[in-house]
Amino acid sequence: MILQIKDLKKSFNGNEVLKGINFKIDKGEVVVIIGPSGSGKTTLLRNINFLESADSGIMKFQDEEINLVNPTKKEKLLVRRQTAMVFQNYNLFKNKTALENITEGLIFGQGIKKEQAVNLAEMALDKVGLLDKKDFYPSQLSGGQQQRIGIARATVLNPALVLFDEPTSALDPELVGTVLQDMKRLADEGQTMIVVTHQMSFAKNVATRVIFFDKGEIIEEGKPSEIFEHPQNIRTKEFLSVIAEDY
Amino acid sequence: MKELKIIETLLKGLPNTLILIVGSFVFATLVGVLIAWLYLRKHKGFQAIAKIYLGISRGTPPLLMLLVAYYGLPKLLEVVGININDWSKMFFAIAGLSIGWGAYLAEAFRSAYLAVDKGQHEAGLAIGLSNRHIFLHIMMPQTMLIALPNIENLLIGLIKATSLVYVIGITDMYNVATDLSNINQGVYQLSIFVTLALIYWFIVLIVEFIFRLFRNHFKYVTV
Repeated sequence: MILQIKDLKKSFNGNEVLKGINFKIDKGEVVVIIGPSGSGKTTLLRNINFLESADSGIMKFQDEEINLVNPTKKEKLLVRRQTAMVFQNYNLFKNKTALENITEGLIFGQGIKKEQAVNLAEMALDKVGLLDKKDFYPSQLSGGQQQRIGIARATVLNPALVLFDEPTSALDPELVGTVLQDMKRLADEGQTMIVVTHQMSFAKNVATRVIFFDKGEIIEEGKPSEIFEHPQNIRTKEFLSVIAEDY
Repeated sequence: MKELKIIETLLKGLPNTLILIVGSFVFATLVGVLIAWLYLRKHKGFQAIAKIYLGISRGTPPLLMLLVAYYGLPKLLEVVGININDWSKMFFAIAGLSIGWGAYLAEAFRSAYLAVDKGQHEAGLAIGLSNRHIFLHIMMPQTMLIALPNIENLLIGLIKATSLVYVIGITDMYNVATDLSNINQGVYQLSIFVTLALIYWFIVLIVEFIFRLFRNHFKYVTV
């Protein structure tokens, strides 16, 4: 087991966004979280990476048990050094080149020597087919290219867990495919991932488990075939019936 | 010939004008960064200090600020046993202009910092960077780039405001120009002040050129 979340609760201004989430992910799993907008999917990911502070909850990350309400600096760093996040809006550092976007975390976050960091970053860029863009700034790259560099940045050190927060939502339709290909490649390589997405074809074809999330609760989870072909809960059925195939 | 003589005389005040511009800009920038930092802290006491300073400083004409610095600062420091009565007038001029322009720069820095995408900070945290590193290497450079047009405007305003230091008796270009006009009983007054205006304009052109070079260097960094 890589990650376990127990009784995670989070409210914003009295509005309960996460209502006691219990959740577990094993090594090599690709968990896809689907659900309506505003159901708390992104908040869940942000709590795992401590970008939000929880109202209650415990996280077990590998062998470490961490209180999600008051994590220590050391605990945050431990999780952040072994997990990675890919953001909806890419969030590449705008004042850094593609290569520097990757080396920054390696050198100053992980303490890797510059020469080795550059080698690792170049290999990561090569994997996503963007080595020739290493000296480009984000403004010189398309959304799809920026997101693939975001993926390269997140996966350069083969983290224990990668969190994808709607990685294709901000992309033009013709750019979605390349990003999904990179994500599929990572899944094939055995990378453990949690993916929040509206790409149902990705969920069907790549996920090892699908979780349907609504109103801050896990409503139903199971294998893609179970969720998509034989949903048990009425809310899951309703959600799947109203969304387009590849919305 | 007459014009050359005017230029030659006016330029005698140029070193002091340049010292005032550079000195005041450097110190105003330091004051601006400090006040912006205090304002952005989530600490009510710090915010109150920043707000009071901004209110007083932005609400006071620069001429008055120079007079307050020249006459008030020695008296204020005398209270804590520091005697600065015989310090150079240049010190008081730079202090007055820095205190005044520091407030404008503080607001330029603060608004620019708030305009940097919050996601930049989060991305830094997510890859294990420290808050300090994110601030210095990700947020600050982007803040400065956003603030650049405002900083340029404020610097140009400061250049022109240095002409007010005549009020405490510093021999800058403007002071030299008024002296020259008086000596000649106003005969060449128009020529003198038009020449003075052209020299100020030339300094502003140099500033604009430097800022343009800077912008071109970072043209791909769109923040």
